[in-house]
Order: sequence, then C-alpha cells, then structure tokens
Amino acid sequence: MVTLINGIKTEIKMGRESILNSIKRHKPALVLVPEINLNLFSEDIDLLETFKHNVELVGGNIKDLEHLNDLNSVIKKLYPKAERIVDEVSASNLGTVLITKETDPHTLENVDLAIIKAEFGIVENGSVWISEDQFPIRVLPFITNDLVIILSKKDLCLHMHDAYKIISDRKRTFGLFISGPSKTADIEQCLVIGAQGAMSLTILLV
Amino acid sequence: MSHSDKAEIFNKNEAKVNWHDKALWFVREKRDTAAHKVKGWEYLRELASGIKANVLSNLDEYLIEFEANAQKNGIKVHWASTAEEHNKIVHSILSETNAKKVVKSKSMLTEECHLNPYLENKGIEVIDTDLGERIVQLAKEAPSHIVLPAIHKTKEEVDELFQKHLGTKPSKGNPEYLTNEARKHLRDKFLKADAAITGVNFAIAETGGFVVCTNEGNADMGAHLTKVHIACMGIEKIIPKESHLGVFLRLLARSATGQPITTYSSHFNKPASGTEMHIVIVDNGRTEQLSREDFRSSLHCIRCGACMNTCPIYRRSGGHSYNATIPGPIGSILSPGKDLTKHSSLPFASTLCGSCTNVCPVKINIHEQLYKWRQIIVKDVKQPFIKKTTLKIVGKVLAQPKLYAIFGKSARWLITYAPRFMVYSRLNTWGKSRELPKIENGNFDQWYKNRNKNG
Repeated sequence: MVTLINGIKTEIKMGRESILNSIKRHKPALVLVPEINLNLFSEDIDLLETFKHNVELVGGNIKDLEHLNDLNSVIKKLYPKAERIVDEVSASNLGTVLITKETDPHTLENVDLAIIKAEFGIVENGSVWISEDQFPIRVLPFITNDLVIILSKKDLCLHMHDAYKIISDRKRTFGLFISGPSKTADIEQCLVIGAQGAMSLTILLV
Repeated sequence: MSHSDKAEIFNKNEAKVNWHDKALWFVREKRDTAAHKVKGWEYLRELASGIKANVLSNLDEYLIEFEANAQKNGIKVHWASTAEEHNKIVHSILSETNAKKVVKSKSMLTEECHLNPYLENKGIEVIDTDLGERIVQLAKEAPSHIVLPAIHKTKEEVDELFQKHLGTKPSKGNPEYLTNEARKHLRDKFLKADAAITGVNFAIAETGGFVVCTNEGNADMGAHLTKVHIACMGIEKIIPKESHLGVFLRLLARSATGQPITTYSSHFNKPASGTEMHIVIVDNGRTEQLSREDFRSSLHCIRCGACMNTCPIYRRSGGHSYNATIPGPIGSILSPGKDLTKHSSLPFASTLCGSCTNVCPVKINIHEQLYKWRQIIVKDVKQPFIKKTTLKIVGKVLAQPKLYAIFGKSARWLITYAPRFMVYSRLNTWGKSRELPKIENGNFDQWYKNRNKNG
C-alpha cells in the first residue's frame, strides 16, 4: 500500500510539471485582462421593490416587518408546525436546538427550521449572501427543512459586481449566494420546489 | 456509429422528438427573456470572453498562483495529466481515508474520466446526487445534456425506474412525488456517505478558492456532511480574480436555464475543522487543444448548455446521438480534438446556422470552428463514397455556369413532371417528412433578366 501511495505521489509531481510545461509550450501570447467599466451596468431603479420581485421570481417568500419585535410571532405564524428550530439570530428567540462549532452535522438531520441572518441582498437576482459567520455548522442552511433569513432593508446592492466588492475583505472560509428554495426540473422539465436542500426560503426584511 | 445513424434511432419515436425539441426551445426562450432584462448583457459577454482569453494566455502562472493560495488555506492540490491519473488520485485519497461510500454532485470532468466505473471496480459505492444524474445512473446511461442530464427521459420512464430501484408506488410519472421520493433516498445516502466528490465551476487564482453552483443543494449536502471533499476541475476553470465571478455568475445561470442565478453559488475557501478538502487539477487533452490556434477558444466554455438548447440538430437528435461526454455544438468542437476518427461525424451534425455562437455567454465562435474541423476531417478521415462523389459532382457543376443552368433546368422539369415515387425516392432525404416547394415561373436568372428588360 505504501509503495502504491508513493508511486502515485511521484506521478502527481510528474503531472504538475508536465501540465505546466505543456501550457508554457502551447499558450498564446499574453492577452491583457479587460477592465470592467461598471458605469455600463448602472441603473436607476427602486432597489427594494425590484429585490422583492426577484425573490419571488426565484421561488422565495419575502415579508416586510414593521417592527423588529414582531419577529417571533411572524415566524411562528409562517411555520406553525416547526418544533426543532435552530435560531442563530439575536433578535428572535425561537431556538429549541442549540448548536456549536463542535456539533456533528449529521445530528441536524431532523431540523425543521433554521433562522439565520444574511449580510446583504443582491437586487438583480433576488439572492442573499450568507457565510459561516452566521451559522456555526456549514450544512445548516441546506439540511434544514425550511429556512428563514433575516435581512436589513438597508443592506441591498444592485448587482453581483457590487456584491463582490462588499465581500472582498471577508475572512474567506465558506459562504454562498442563496436564491430561493432548493429546486429541480429534472423530470420532464417540471419545476419542483424542494430537491435536496431546504424546501422553502422566507426572507424577512427588517 | 455516426451521429446521423444514432439520430435516426432517436427519431423513431416522433412524439418524443417533438417534445424534446420544444422543451429545449422553451429553455432557450427563457434564456432570452433573462438576458434581455440585464443592462449591458452584450458587454458582459465581451468581458467574459476577454477574461477567458487572458486566462488561456497566462494559464500556467494562474494555476501556480491558485495552488499556492489554496495550500495556504489548507486545501490539498493534486495534478493529473490524464483521466487515468485523475482516477488513481481520487481513489488514493479515498483509500487513505478508508472511504467506501461516496456521494457525487454533477461534474462533467468525472464523466469524461469515467471515474464511476473505476471506483466501483475498486469496491467503492458512488452515488450521483443531482436528480437528473441519479436518474441516468439508475438507467445505466450517460447524461444526454450537460445541464439537464435526463432530458431524454419521459416522466413515465422515471416512474418505472424509481419503482424498480427505489421501491416507489406507481404514480403515472408525478414529478412532485418522484422528486420527493428521490429526496428521501438521497438524504439517506448523504447521511451515510464517507466522502463527497464535486465539480468546480470556477477556481480563483487570486484567492485559491473555488465556486460550485447547483439548484438542488446536492453539492453542499455532500461536501458538508462528509469528512473528505474532493473537487475535480479541468485546468481551464481558472479565473484570475474573485471580482471576475461577478461577470461569470451573471452569465451562467441566465444562459443555462434562464434563472438570474443558481439557487446555491457556494464559495469554498477553507476546509471546516476536522475535514479535508482536495482539488484535483486535470489536463486530459486540454493543453493539446490549447496548442490549436483555431480551436483554442473552445476552452472558454463554462458549461451552460445554451448552445445545445438552441441547436436545431441537437434538439432533434438528442444528446446520446453524439456519443461523446459533451454533446451538442460545443461537444462537436471539443471531441474531435480528443479522437478525430471516433468523432469525425460530429462537426457535420450542424446546419452552420450560427445560433450556438450567438447565444454563447463567452463568445466562442462555435459554428466557425465546426466548419474548420470539417476541413481537417475531409482531409484526414476517409469519407463515405457517396458523399465524396456527390460533393465532387456538385463542386464541378457549381463551378461552371452553363452546366449549372442545365442541371437547374432538368431538376425543375423533374420535380414538376416526374412521377412522385421518383422524386420522393430514397435519395431525397429532404422529402422524407416534407413536401418540396412548388416550382413557379422559371429561375432567378430569367426573372432577373426580365426585370431588367421591363425597367
């Protein structure tokens, strides 16, 4: 076994050198990277209204909260049957399952609802950026049956170019743009909500 | 078997072909709607093409930069020149961690390397977790489309497959019921898996991170529930900077399915504590394609599938007719570079209408490359006798105006006066399912002369 693994390790090194040499031999003369002129993408649109529209377009629910105090009652009303709840937002206190960085991700198998905070929303596609800073276990937003994301109305950007500016200084571990619930159209192109990830996604604007 | 032979088999079921044709055209229309909503769409395509051209011209440096940054973040980087090396590396990682059960999300590269049979032969269970891929895996078939792997299957066929393999109840092909049953089945597989394999949509040189896009959430379910995550990528998946993702993520899903973005666009930069993250960088013929000036830009491809959805030949012949890992127009310019003889019929599976080039988000001149491959193929690969002779005759006729006029005249006479069984004989493939146009008032030449006379 050891020799086999060693054998492969030599090959890996050969693979690296041979690939890089082959590229050197075959690549064309240097072509410069284009500068991105963001002015060509600027639009004067109502950010909040367009964002709401696009969240619904991608199959998500979106609700504007009048008071932050309503958070608990609104979520309870939306998901009355949820019992096993992971709540990672300080403004609500509905959590029944406590998790830490040490929690075995497999134990989240039966979580009914997860509540997490988004850092910001992207208007052009109705997605939000969430990262490991907001949930200690990476699998949480995927394995939970339903997902509620809290987003501040002020934290909206127009398009993906602005989004990457906002996250450029982050601590890079794991994060994602999430738009709507998990979905598939793999059976005769019929759209079905709820594939392998969360069955529903509700964005609550505060 | 050539593309046209296989297409003939696919065309036996006319109702299915018509459905396939319309379903894919509908996806193409959704792409148009999504694209038209974006201000500066054409500029985005230009940027994407320009960034990819820069990538290819500096690919070695970017790969080295990517490797260094990934390693700094605790990701292990491996290099494979060939499919076989790739498979060996993946297997060695799995055996070092004693992984027996693997969940895999969509990766055309692992299809290209035939990773599943390789691992299965070594006693490892590999489960494809994208619903479409799971369907074709259960049917023991290959994906027929890179974004919609089971587009060639009817819901009734899926129903039967699931009854047989997942023990579902007959549902007359109810998509919601079947998807939900697959969800339960796959949940169980995710929870019991030892390792996850995913593809890579984009790898960023500047940060050493990579992005995986799915709609189902299957890549993340696998990657975050297992201790070992192996991500496999072709060398051309590199982009220079993270900010370039802004360009590519705006184009990818809109071009693929008409969604503004995929449900999940996951950015992996560091393994979670107590887990391993590996990246396998694969050549497998890509540097050879890089050496071909005329075909180099085929490596810009971001695998959106838009060229398939729009192609009149793909829509009516189905992905399996191409007998290649990547079917459709883009596959027809990639595959001949790998095996010219085996894939020699593919560049002819096109009308050269150019629709593929028009929708390509990274502006690959697909139809021009198809034409260029044809020129190489007729020189290097023996062509069928009838095709060769016919083209020779046509070439002669078209070069001599007098001969052309005689041919034209006789053809018009024949179509009008010859008996139907002659005009619609086996040689007339056009007439198989269509009527020829009616001949009226002579030819263009006569019409043009008369028009001049009449002033």
